[in-house]
Amino acid sequence: MRVLLRLLSPLLGLLVAGVGVLTALEVIVAWVAPTSSPLVVPWPTWQAAVAGLTWSSGTVRGIAIGVAVVGLLVLLVGLVARRHDVTLTEPVPEVTVTTSPRSLARAVGHEVRSHAEVVSASVVASQKKVVVRAGTLDTPEEVRTAVRERVDEVLGRLPLARRPRVSVTVAATKGVK
Amino acid sequence: MSRRSRAAVARSAAGDRTLVVLSGLVLLALGVLVVLLGTGVFGSNRAQRPLFDPVVTGWVTQNADLSRWIAIAAGVVLLVVGLTWAVRSLRPEPRPDVVLSETPGERLTVDHSAIADAVRHDAEAIDGVSRARVRMVGTERRPALRMSLWLVEGTDVRDVWADIDGRVLARARQAFSVDALPTAVRLELDAAASRSPRVQ
Repeated sequence: MRVLLRLLSPLLGLLVAGVGVLTALEVIVAWVAPTSSPLVVPWPTWQAAVAGLTWSSGTVRGIAIGVAVVGLLVLLVGLVARRHDVTLTEPVPEVTVTTSPRSLARAVGHEVRSHAEVVSASVVASQKKVVVRAGTLDTPEEVRTAVRERVDEVLGRLPLARRPRVSVTVAATKGVK
Repeated sequence: MSRRSRAAVARSAAGDRTLVVLSGLVLLALGVLVVLLGTGVFGSNRAQRPLFDPVVTGWVTQNADLSRWIAIAAGVVLLVVGLTWAVRSLRPEPRPDVVLSETPGERLTVDHSAIADAVRHDAEAIDGVSRARVRMVGTERRPALRMSLWLVEGTDVRDVWADIDGRVLARARQAFSVDALPTAVRLELDAAASRSPRVQ
């Protein structure tokens, strides 16, 4: 989502600048040289179209709903675009260590898959939570305990600033052992 | 946690986020207000009034010159605000040089790429680090280091830390004769397979 924010922010800026320059230009041209007006924006046509409308007209409501929806989307882009770094404890003052959720998930995933009874695994990690889903041909309960131990071991090795909650689900996969 | 090393983790998007959230709020509020106005929440009389309200158009015709100046000024303000916004958000993150000594008429600096290369070289020599990327961030007065390290599978993070602080950063601090060099380290865990074969 940060990529979207990095794209959207300069675009909005340019849009604001564009509206500004067009407004100033059209007003100046209509004032100084009325014969060459409108310059770019066909504002007399818009004026004629708006002239008969009231606030309760269907068109006005439609456009207003459209503007509100666009506003909501823009607002969401701004709110969602935060960083999701996983912080590790500070080894020495003045040094901050972080890792990405993806990288943490990869480390946990390697460890889980190295278990002989696990045939498939997916891991989703964040600062607060690590979710492991694994498939096995064996009895899921036994494998679950083993996988949990391995995950705890990995997390124990990593000096994470806060220990994430771990949830492990193991399901039996059909197949020949 | 040190604020300077914390700030060095990534380029701040606070300005962009604030502006984007504000524009979203403004658009949302405008849309909702017009819908409410149209449905008669502020009185059914108001809902029936034309978009070009006679009161407003009357004032504009009476004060034609003043309204023109207001429109031009508003346009110029929007232009300046919009351009500043776009330029700020498109400008690349600065890479400051480190000032070693500054006396009037004399100024000794180390180029940011020289520092980055030296630190990267040192970092890549650490056991368990397969790749490193280093750059200077912050301002000339308050420089900081951002380091991305790709670790080999199975590397103990604590060992890498010890080497980073004991060898790499210690050397950098000594070279610039500073007590502390705020540093943000971004680790990519298990980024490269270990050299020992996985299947035996």
